[in-house]
Amino acid sequence: MKVSGKKILLLAGLCICLAGCTGTQRETQRTSIRIGISLYRGDDTFINNLRSVVEEKAKEYERENHIKVTLDIQDAKGSQNTQNNQVERFISLGCDVLCINPVDRMDASVIIDQAMTAGVPVVFFNRQPVEEDMNRWDQLYYIGVDAKETAVLQGQMVVDLYKKHPEKVDLNGDGVVSYVLLEGESSHQDSLIRTEWSIQTLKNGGVPIEKITGGIANWERSQASALMEQWLSAYPGTIELVVSNNDDMALGAIDALDRERITNVNVIGIDGTTPGLEALESGKLLGTVSANKELYASAVIELAASCAMGKEPSEEYPLTDGVYFWTPQEILIGESEQLNKEFQ
Amino acid sequence: MIGKRGKLLVVLYVVFLAVLFLMCSTDLIIREPEKEIYQVAVIIEEARDDNYGNFRKGMDQAAMEFNADVRFITLYEKLNAEEQMELIDREQQDGADALIVAPADGEQVMNALTKNQVTIPFVLLGAGEAGESVTKNIMVDYKQMGELLAQKMIEDMPENCPVLALADSQMHSIRSRLFLEGAFEAFGNSKSSFQIVETAGEQEIRIFMEGLENWTGGQVAILAESPEILAEAAELLADSPTLSKRIWGLYGRGSTIPILNYLDRGLVKGICVTDEFSIGYLSVSMAVEAAEKGAEKKVVAIDSVYIDKESLRDPVYEKLLFPIE
Repeated sequence: MKVSGKKILLLAGLCICLAGCTGTQRETQRTSIRIGISLYRGDDTFINNLRSVVEEKAKEYERENHIKVTLDIQDAKGSQNTQNNQVERFISLGCDVLCINPVDRMDASVIIDQAMTAGVPVVFFNRQPVEEDMNRWDQLYYIGVDAKETAVLQGQMVVDLYKKHPEKVDLNGDGVVSYVLLEGESSHQDSLIRTEWSIQTLKNGGVPIEKITGGIANWERSQASALMEQWLSAYPGTIELVVSNNDDMALGAIDALDRERITNVNVIGIDGTTPGLEALESGKLLGTVSANKELYASAVIELAASCAMGKEPSEEYPLTDGVYFWTPQEILIGESEQLNKEFQ
Repeated sequence: MIGKRGKLLVVLYVVFLAVLFLMCSTDLIIREPEKEIYQVAVIIEEARDDNYGNFRKGMDQAAMEFNADVRFITLYEKLNAEEQMELIDREQQDGADALIVAPADGEQVMNALTKNQVTIPFVLLGAGEAGESVTKNIMVDYKQMGELLAQKMIEDMPENCPVLALADSQMHSIRSRLFLEGAFEAFGNSKSSFQIVETAGEQEIRIFMEGLENWTGGQVAILAESPEILAEAAELLADSPTLSKRIWGLYGRGSTIPILNYLDRGLVKGICVTDEFSIGYLSVSMAVEAAEKGAEKKVVAIDSVYIDKESLRDPVYEKLLFPIE
């Protein structure tokens, strides 16, 4: 077949035009993004604190980048079904990206299916879906804290205190620190890890501990308070340390101690929530481990925005295995400078 | 072997199934009426949504029922009227079908409406009577709220008990101004003295409350101008047994969860509240109605109620304070 020069020129021109069109499309800048956020329970103190910071960070992003950010925040109220419906609504409303704090981390597959079908990336946070689910698509991310690191830091604050002032930990001076343990939901990945490594760190650090009893209070202040009340009447005068998987349960234990007018029991928590920090300031809480919430929230917004804009995630928030961002944490005890900063 | 007639029947059957499928699963033959989704933007005067918890529940409920896509927008800086006007413009340009606005500065919003700068249906969440240019207005009379609270305080307090009203010197919202005006007028007819104490932020409230600890005169009653000041004062009261001896009672407005907890613990004696859930619900339903049918004049006045510790568990008030979504 003979191809004339004119035809070749015409084809080449067409190719250039098409290439030009593609280029123009790529260069088109988005001026607004819409993020659908579903929280496992809006009344969880840590989640509520985090939500406020996320909203602030979204406004900051909007101002700095001149991109309108619309946040649709919904509370799933502890129901996976409700959360699945919320995800469906987010997608139908045209959200560019979803930020999901899953109710049941073992059951994120429905959300992932919906998102994959609609081509909407998902940033999970705080409650980590199982690895099999996370590996299903390259547009799934997770932001959280390293539970083992949290637990080690929690144990370490008692180890440090014991090394400096053993009498402040072993209150009755019998050579053994008797403790009770308040655990979070059994289905939450952090609950088991926090318990295991916190106690292991105490043992490794040379604190002579003995467990009196323990119970699951599902992260809740009221449940922890009821458990602690039972333990105080069942084991009067023996509890020297309360190890809690989060601040809310630690505060529940403090409520029970207040009711019994007991002031000399050490209570340690995790999360660095606002009420937790207030208890720390008033000396009722010995210490807590806090994730850097500013960084945590910034990572959620920045990663979500990158996904929505179709950009590569920012190098400011390095992703482990291209999927996970682990937020740094720190110990907060009464005299800590960080605590002063938080209260300024 | 299937005969010619059999083959024809099979083909007809397949065609019949295909037609059935088309009828049921696509809108090629039977067209379902298209549901229009109305874009509604809610722009409040605050930088945070802490005081809008129940409002948002009502708003979400109405959004689901009336098929509205509601965007709830807070300001970067509380009561920044210029920023609010920019957001009103932005939302109009971005294709909102209706706007719901709790004005940072009532006058600026009225001017914009009078000059026809707002061309889409507009629902005003007003703190008092609005002008003719406002067609849809949900009004909470904060002056009447201030009067109501003051009257309840006068009934509660011992005669001649001085009243100190804690106000924010930096944030003069129209709501707070009207609320204090109402209280001032009511106390004018009583034997109690009424004095406004201006504070700027948490630190100054703390200093004022610490000052009260060393107060050697009789007891005083405190009226907090805003929910933020009420919560802050209650927190300080909770931490200081000395302070509770100096203060006869702490009163204010607002129904955030911390305030209700303080009321339940007896640290706050009484609060004035409105039905925020209904306001949220009504505002979205009015916005959708205006987007659908045009803006007919409609003004809804929402009453305030007084709640103390005893009436907190009253089923009527429980529904109002803890609405079920």
